[in-house]
Amino acid sequence: MHIVDGALSTPVVVAGAALAAGGIALGLRRLDMDRMPAAGVLSATFFVASLIHVPIGPSSVHLIMNGLAGIVLGWVAFPALFVGLVLQAVFFGFGGLTVLGVNTVTIALPAVLAALACRRGVTHPDARVAAVWGGLAGALSIALTTAAVALVLTLSGEAFVPAARLVFVAHLPVMAIEGLLTAAAVFLIHRVRPDLLGLFTRPAVAGEGA
Amino acid sequence: MTARRRAAVPAFALAFALAFTLALPGGARAHKVVAAVYAEGRVIEGEVGFSNGDMAADADVVVTAPDGRELGRTRTDADGLFTFTPTEAVDHHFTANLGAGHVAQVTLPAADLPRGLAPGGAAPARMDSTPVAEAGASAALPPDLSEQIAAAVRREVKPLRKEIAAYRERNDLQAILGGIGYILGLFGLGFYLMARRRLNRDAP
Repeated sequence: MHIVDGALSTPVVVAGAALAAGGIALGLRRLDMDRMPAAGVLSATFFVASLIHVPIGPSSVHLIMNGLAGIVLGWVAFPALFVGLVLQAVFFGFGGLTVLGVNTVTIALPAVLAALACRRGVTHPDARVAAVWGGLAGALSIALTTAAVALVLTLSGEAFVPAARLVFVAHLPVMAIEGLLTAAAVFLIHRVRPDLLGLFTRPAVAGEGA
Repeated sequence: MTARRRAAVPAFALAFALAFTLALPGGARAHKVVAAVYAEGRVIEGEVGFSNGDMAADADVVVTAPDGRELGRTRTDADGLFTFTPTEAVDHHFTANLGAGHVAQVTLPAADLPRGLAPGGAAPARMDSTPVAEAGASAALPPDLSEQIAAAVRREVKPLRKEIAAYRERNDLQAILGGIGYILGLFGLGFYLMARRRLNRDAP
C-alpha cells in the first residue's frame, strides 16, 4: 500500500505533501489532551499492523488499520498516521521519505472520510449495530485507500482501471480482516469506553455514554 | 467506569497487534522491491523482485544514462532476471515499474561495466588498469580462463548475495520495539507540553 520513492511524478509528490501538511495542521489543532493517548496508541497500532502480512497468491499484502484510527481520532488520524508512516519509512524502508505526503493522504484521508460516512452508525447506542458499522468503516477505508493509490498512480501516468483493479483485488482479504478487527475494536470500545467514540464530534469534556 | 479500565482498551489493542505480529512466522516481511545488477562477461545481468523472495516476472526494464537519455530497454524473464548489453561506458540506471506503486531502481556505475567499452566520459581510468595484469596471466593459460573463473565466482556468490539482500530486509524485534518507543516518546512529549500549557493557563 505504500508507494515507493520514484514511482510518482514531481507535481503529484508536491501536491500530496501540501495536502498532507494541511491535514496534519487540521489534525494537530483538534488534538487535545484527552485524545493524545488514543492518538499515540493508534499510531503505534498502525506502525505494527504493517508488519502483519496476508499471503495472497504469489504475493502478500499487509494490514493497514487506518479505519480504526479514523473512527476514533477523526482528523487527528492525519498526524497519528503520519508519525507511523515516518517510522515505517525509517525503520522498515516502507514507502520513502519523499513520498511521505502522498502516502499520508492516501492512507489518512480515506480513513477520515469512511469514519465520517459511518459516524451515525458507529455512535449507535446498540453496541452490536455500532460494531457492524465500525467494521463497514474499516473495510471502506481500505477500499477508498486502494482507489486513492490507483488515482495517484494514474496522475503519474499509469492507466487507472488496471492499476485500480490490481490494488483493489489484492486488498480484498485485507478489507475482510480489517473489517472484522475494526468491528471487534468498536464493540470493545463501545462496551468499555463509549465516550471515545463520542470524542469524534464534540470536544470532549465529559463522556456521553455513562 | 474506572480510569484504569479505560486505559486498558488501547493497551489491549496494541498488545493484540504485537502478539499477532510476533506469532506469524513470516510476519516481519517487507514488501519492498529489490534489484541488483552486475556485469557478467560482456553483458549486464540483473534481477528484480520483491524482498519476500518473489521475483518480478515479465517486467519492463528501462535503461537510462545519467543525463536522462534512454540507452535501451529489456524485459525480465520468469525468474526476474534480465540482461542488457551495454554500448557506452557511462553510469547505467535501471528502472523497472512493477505496478501498484512498486518501482525498482538500481544503478551500475561506469567503473563496474564490462571492460572494453568506448568511454562515454565517465571514469574510464579504472577500467584500464585491470586488463594489464590479466594479459600476462592469459599468455600461458586458455584465453577465456579469467572469464570462466569470473563466471564460477559469480555463480558461487549468488546465493550469498541473495542471503545478504534478504538479511538487509529483515525487520527484527529491535526495530519494531524501537519504533513503538519513538511513538510513545513523541506522544508523551506532546502530552507533557499540553499539560504544562494547561497548568500555566489555570494557575498563572
